[in-house]
Amino acid sequence: MRPPVLVVLFAVLCGVSLMVGVGRMTWLDLAGLSEDAWLTLTASRLPRLAALVLSGAGLAVCGVVLQQIVRNRFVEPATSGGLDAAKLGILIAVSAFPGIGTAGKMLMALGVSFAASLAYVAMIRRIRFKSIVLVPVLGLMYGSVLSALAEFWAYRHQLLQSLQGWLMGDFSRIVQGNYEIIFVILPVVVLIYVFAQRLTVLGMGEGMANSLGLNYTATVTLGLLLVALTVSVTVITVGAIPFVGLVIPNLIALRYGENLQRTLPLVALCGASMLLACDILGRLLIYPFEVPIGLVAGSVGGVLFLVLLLRRST
Amino acid sequence: MSRLDARLGIWLLVAALAAAFVLLGSGLDMAYVIPRRLTRLAAIGVAGVCIGCSSVIFQTLTGNRILTPAIMGYEAVYLLFQALLILLIGTHSLILLGRHGNVWLSILLMLGYSWLLHRWLLRDGRQNVYLLLLVGLVLSLVLSTLTQFIQLKVSPGEFSILQGFNYASFNKAQPLQVAYSAVLAALACLVVRRTLPVLDVLALGRDQAIVLGVDHLRAVSVQMAVIAVLVAVSTSLIGPTAFMGVFVANLTYTLARTFRHRVTLPLASGVAMALFIVAQYLVEQAFNYNMSVNILINLVCGAYFLALMTRTRGTA
Repeated sequence: MRPPVLVVLFAVLCGVSLMVGVGRMTWLDLAGLSEDAWLTLTASRLPRLAALVLSGAGLAVCGVVLQQIVRNRFVEPATSGGLDAAKLGILIAVSAFPGIGTAGKMLMALGVSFAASLAYVAMIRRIRFKSIVLVPVLGLMYGSVLSALAEFWAYRHQLLQSLQGWLMGDFSRIVQGNYEIIFVILPVVVLIYVFAQRLTVLGMGEGMANSLGLNYTATVTLGLLLVALTVSVTVITVGAIPFVGLVIPNLIALRYGENLQRTLPLVALCGASMLLACDILGRLLIYPFEVPIGLVAGSVGGVLFLVLLLRRST
Repeated sequence: MSRLDARLGIWLLVAALAAAFVLLGSGLDMAYVIPRRLTRLAAIGVAGVCIGCSSVIFQTLTGNRILTPAIMGYEAVYLLFQALLILLIGTHSLILLGRHGNVWLSILLMLGYSWLLHRWLLRDGRQNVYLLLLVGLVLSLVLSTLTQFIQLKVSPGEFSILQGFNYASFNKAQPLQVAYSAVLAALACLVVRRTLPVLDVLALGRDQAIVLGVDHLRAVSVQMAVIAVLVAVSTSLIGPTAFMGVFVANLTYTLARTFRHRVTLPLASGVAMALFIVAQYLVEQAFNYNMSVNILINLVCGAYFLALMTRTRGTA
């Protein structure tokens, strides 16, 4: 699909996303300035749309950053322990400091997630023979150890059920007043775009990056920090959504190549579109109830991931 | 330490642990405490044999030391099937099929999955191990996502039954179920016992096995069937164990210092039992039931697996 088509698709999805829901709300009501309809729109539908678009774009772009840093196609927050670390962070915050606010949970998740990703990158750098699939395998293993740790902790503090709640990305909780922190993603995505060229250089490896005058360590650290920030913000507001950061960048790279300055906006756009589509699907599957988006994205993204994997190997 | 010592040692250890598990703090209460603990011990024994044998045999067939049935999605398929069953026929399924009908259906399904896996993924012995591993992990993730989706659709009562499957533990082991599992596991073990020499030859790889006169396809199919039965039994008894198989198999190879199945299979069963007894003991005594065996084992074995992968630095 050509970029303009993608933009149109995105716009259509946004429109559909606004119109789907249990509460009755039609364009006619809005035109007639019905108060109910406007309340539905501003208190629930618009926040949800904003959260969807921002987390989709943020997660997809984060996937690109991680892939450049680790130099592996199959890395993203879910396959590098980032998501599980963020959950662990929130868990520690909730059980050790009850009554801590959103900002406190957020900082804790950020800290743990950042530390975990530093450890992951250090671990990957130690491995001499980097098989393209070994790196995500290690990430998944690392993630499952982190989440076993979280389960251990949660079981001790009778928090297992809440932990399973956060496991699942879910946009149905998003209403005006409890999602605003997600706008943090906006400057992060802009910042990543500004650094697009540095990321490309980063992807050429440490030696090349250094000789091209890039401060390798500083750039990697900044990149990981931005990723950890995005991941913890999304986990706090909507929960864990796997595979968006993996599938979208891969599909875009297959079709449009790897000139990040040109493709990053497309990655963000398609990430948002994918989440919108998954969300609409989730809202319609068992209408009037909802399937959490973590499930829809997990199965759709997982299957796409398998296709990418097997396609690559043959 | 000779091979014999290692084998003898592990069984002495298992016996000592079992005795401690049953007797410590029981006050020799023959009416309640000891019979209950014996049931749990029996469940541990059956599960240990299932996990030890299925992992070692699977690694022999795939020719590596990393893949296990649990990682390749067997357990996820089992749980998905249970969820589907509940969704389609509801809790009646428990009455309609009876305990036994369910077990047979599950085993049939696992056989089917075994066959698919064999057909698509393990065709070529030289397949990239890490690719298979990644495919297995992602497949398990997708399958468990589908299971969770089904859990959304069922009623709360049915949901709690499903949760029971997911977090099964030795605490709830029922004598009848344990006996039934033991019979199935024993049948599988009987088959393995008769084919021990064939397994040793299969470990040499496909071409060598064929040259040595083994009907490779048939032999592998039999072993895959055995694995399917063993995994169905262990998953129905104790739920998913994820990385435990890798831990058990690798520890066994280190202790046995041979790949002969006559040695490794019993040893692996012993190692798995010892691990289970220690974990269950910790759950009962140290954590006062405020912990689950699965979580403890996943924590330890997952960390070990990660260390194994980083230590070999991807050269395995």
